[in-house]
Amino acid sequence: MWIGTAAHAEVPVFTLEIRDHLFYPSLLVIPAGTKVKLIVLNRDTTPEEFESYELNREKVIMGGAKATIFIGPLAPGDYPFFGEFNPKTAQGLIRAED
Amino acid sequence: MIISLLLALSRQISLNHRWILVAMVIGILGSWLLAYYAYAIAEALEGVGQELLNATLYSAVILSAILLSLHVIPLSMSASKRAFSERRPNFFQPALYSMLVITVSCSVAREGSEIWIYVSGFLYDPGALQSAMIGGAIGAGIGMSLGAIAYYLFVFMPKKIFLPFFLVTVTLVVGGLSMQVAKQFMQIGWLESAAPMWDSSFLVSEQSWLGELLYALLGYDASPSMTQGAFYLAAIMPTISGVLWHVLHRRENNND
Ligand SMILES: [Cu+2]
Repeated sequence: MWIGTAAHAEVPVFTLEIRDHLFYPSLLVIPAGTKVKLIVLNRDTTPEEFESYELNREKVIMGGAKATIFIGPLAPGDYPFFGEFNPKTAQGLIRAED
Repeated sequence: MIISLLLALSRQISLNHRWILVAMVIGILGSWLLAYYAYAIAEALEGVGQELLNATLYSAVILSAILLSLHVIPLSMSASKRAFSERRPNFFQPALYSMLVITVSCSVAREGSEIWIYVSGFLYDPGALQSAMIGGAIGAGIGMSLGAIAYYLFVFMPKKIFLPFFLVTVTLVVGGLSMQVAKQFMQIGWLESAAPMWDSSFLVSEQSWLGELLYALLGYDASPSMTQGAFYLAAIMPTISGVLWHVLHRRENNND
């Protein structure tokens, strides 16, 4: 599993991976009410776009590249995201919990 | 949208249309360069290069669109009275053309780079590339037909209606773009996201066709944050104050 670990600074860090146009983990639980640093590692050779209407985020991640996206503070709840270049397979959910 | 609007504007105030060729060439070349160096750009400045570049391109479009609007305000106010050619000194022409070129080339470069990157993902898979190209061509076809329809609607509007319409639409587009700028800064953690001011996704979801259309036209955001709202107000302020100033100014002149 790749559920992230808190690193330096006060902002907790979580990691997502893209492999074969899929997100790992597909369910990421983060704390509600706080800003979170999301690191997305694209292990594929093809580019992908991390997109979420609910999180109001979109970012292109080149093949083999690493992207940083800040999200939140979020109200408790579920926030779906997907890979815009492979929307059928690349689906995931961020769950904000108190 | 913004391109057909600007084309119509240059037709309506009888400018030479050649600027669009220059803008398209710069934009397409720029978009290819952005895609080619996307990796380096993304890694630059500790991983915030892409967002900063996007914010810069959006800001360039916003600034030149605002300057264009301020230029159009006096034209729209006196539309009924005098001919434009008399009112517009030649001095303004180069500035006007560069604003048009900047607006269009930056928009094309920004949107185009994402298309190059998307297509590059399929280069090693000819089957998928073909279907991606077909999908892309259909999308581009729909976009261009809508643009053409919009252009002809705008061109056949009487000037008296078109110029105020132009001002309102460009101001809305500029506001939408400014929310994109705010979003770029929130994404890299330089600005706080805060809570959304409202959530209108129950009315028009961003995923619906209407939401996508509104997003493409006006930068619709179903749940904008306070920060985005502030950027929106700041971006539409110059044009609104410009209009108010001209209205008051004209009233004073009439009183004299
Ligand atoms: Cu447009």
